[in-house]
Amino acid sequence: MVAEVKQNRALITSAALHNWLNRLGPVLGLVLVIGIFSLLMKTPERFLSANNLRIVLSQTVIVAIGAIGMTMIIISGGIDLAVGSTIALTGVITALGIHSGLAPSVALASGILVGGLVGLINGLVITRLKVVPFIATLGMLGVARGTAKWVAGEQTVNMADTWLNELLVMFPNPSWLLVAPGVWIAIILAFIAAVVLRNTVFGRRVFALGSNEAAARACGIATDRLKVWIYGLAGLLFGLSGVMQMSRLRQGDPTVAAGSELDIIAAVVIGGGSLNGGEGSILGSMIGALIMAFLRNGCQQIGWPNYIQEIIIGAIIVIAVALDRWRRSRAVS
Amino acid sequence: MRKIFVILMALMVVGACNNKTAGPNGAKKFTIAVIPKGTTHEFWKSIHAGSNKAASELSAQGTNVEVIWQGPLREDDREQQIKVVEGFTTQGVNGIVLAPLDDRALVRPVEDAKRAGVPTVIIDSGLQTDSIVSFVATDNRKGGSLAADRLGQLLNGKGKVLLLRYAEGSASTTEREEGFLSEIKAKFPNIELVSTDQYAGATRDTAKRASENLLNRFGDDIQGIFTPNESSTAGMLLALQDINKAGKVSFVGFDTSQVFIDAMRAGQLHGIVVQNPFNMGYLGVRTMVDQLSGKAVEKKIDTGVMLVTKDNLETPEVQNLLHPPLDRYLK
Repeated sequence: MVAEVKQNRALITSAALHNWLNRLGPVLGLVLVIGIFSLLMKTPERFLSANNLRIVLSQTVIVAIGAIGMTMIIISGGIDLAVGSTIALTGVITALGIHSGLAPSVALASGILVGGLVGLINGLVITRLKVVPFIATLGMLGVARGTAKWVAGEQTVNMADTWLNELLVMFPNPSWLLVAPGVWIAIILAFIAAVVLRNTVFGRRVFALGSNEAAARACGIATDRLKVWIYGLAGLLFGLSGVMQMSRLRQGDPTVAAGSELDIIAAVVIGGGSLNGGEGSILGSMIGALIMAFLRNGCQQIGWPNYIQEIIIGAIIVIAVALDRWRRSRAVS
Repeated sequence: MRKIFVILMALMVVGACNNKTAGPNGAKKFTIAVIPKGTTHEFWKSIHAGSNKAASELSAQGTNVEVIWQGPLREDDREQQIKVVEGFTTQGVNGIVLAPLDDRALVRPVEDAKRAGVPTVIIDSGLQTDSIVSFVATDNRKGGSLAADRLGQLLNGKGKVLLLRYAEGSASTTEREEGFLSEIKAKFPNIELVSTDQYAGATRDTAKRASENLLNRFGDDIQGIFTPNESSTAGMLLALQDINKAGKVSFVGFDTSQVFIDAMRAGQLHGIVVQNPFNMGYLGVRTMVDQLSGKAVEKKIDTGVMLVTKDNLETPEVQNLLHPPLDRYLK
């Protein structure tokens, strides 16, 4: 009896340890990337400076906010390929709003809401028309991109200077913010999303849906409605990403962010998300996004050509997932 | 099978007729496709306006010319531009005026077009083939050396300079970069080039990211910067403004937009090398029509390049160059 309890406790602690390792994996990866670059760099003090950290954080925000939404979708067993197009569309919408004289806050809200609307349509197509997420969002990738070009009149949309343009500046005003306001927004959103996913009924249901959809439905979860919610919520986040993109460029560009859906999916996967659903963490995805941003930043400062960056990032995605599999197979045996 | 063949033949005959429809006053009608590298940059709108001007001028003179404007929306989508060229070839336009995204990737479709009887005039960027009517473009090497002269003069011939290149494989910007580098090396031996091998990429977003990363590494060392096109100049300007360094570094860019003019007035940009895209579109279409009407055309036509600084900004010559009459020629 006593032995059994002891064994149980040992199991629990080893499970907890394993859990921690899982979560630490991406963090170790990030530390490794930064460490290696610092060693290779002729001017490590510049690479490790607060200013460079500010730059990398600002550069990560668009992918990071997108990755929060994508993590929810991937945990639920889905995928969204339309993120890049949604970012372009919502950025253009926000820029057009400001251009036509709306208050920045109203333009901001309309950008986010259009993102939500795109997500909602994705969710409805997936659940009502029974189109698998890959195809539904592949379709939306084209539709949203085309719409962005259409509403922008096939050109970039320039607009007046507003506080929205300050969201991702390197030196924030007021200066006690230390990093750009957009970085704080991303951190707060990530924190909220992490708590929601881990500690609320909604969050548990998202995991249940991704682990075993049939079982989730049998347990009385309205899976279709849940999916529409997930895509809609993620869409709002993609909309905010679009506003951030506009803020960075100080214009609405309908051709921007092509291919960034792959960056965002890669961030989630490097962070431990599984495309089979049921697994993934917000913290991991954020680290994943940071790893990629540091890689680009570091390669550029060392002076390596672009193709090396692409090869390294590609390799890291595969290595991260392979390591994950390996750890898992050891844990099972 | 035979039925299909007959239908195809009929379609081809109809298509052939369409090409050679006579204009209202009995003159021949030329349909000319103008294919830019992209459609979002202001530069391409000027080319569009210029080609429309040529068309309306020629039509008024009795040669009926119709310009069809179509391009890939993204500036690095070679595949899509190839498809556009192929599409116009099969459509059977009379001639193509093309700004190739790549000096090799577009060679095959252009040679195919020639074989199909559709001649091509190349504008803006070079193409590695002899199968073209003419090359109508800015003298990009000269543009690059103008920028080098300006930067050398701003720095009094000494200091550290950074060159952020545009994108791999783009012939026009590569020539500007080489023109810049060789002029600096020849005329200003005391100027040190600290970074010349990084690329801005196709959009302002990639350019801004690359600029931020480079400025973090070299920002405190350098006194001068050169960027070879609109998006790289815009990205670098945004990055400089973000770290409050705009105006503290001598910065010479290439191409024009309202943002650059404002920055120049604010002392954040110390010169831009400006091409004449309006003239490029105009001469591109005119050269094509000359060829189609059997007149002799030059193999290479220079459309002009000029250095614009705060000092000559307000002259009528520059104002006309910076603000071509777009509204008049673009509906």
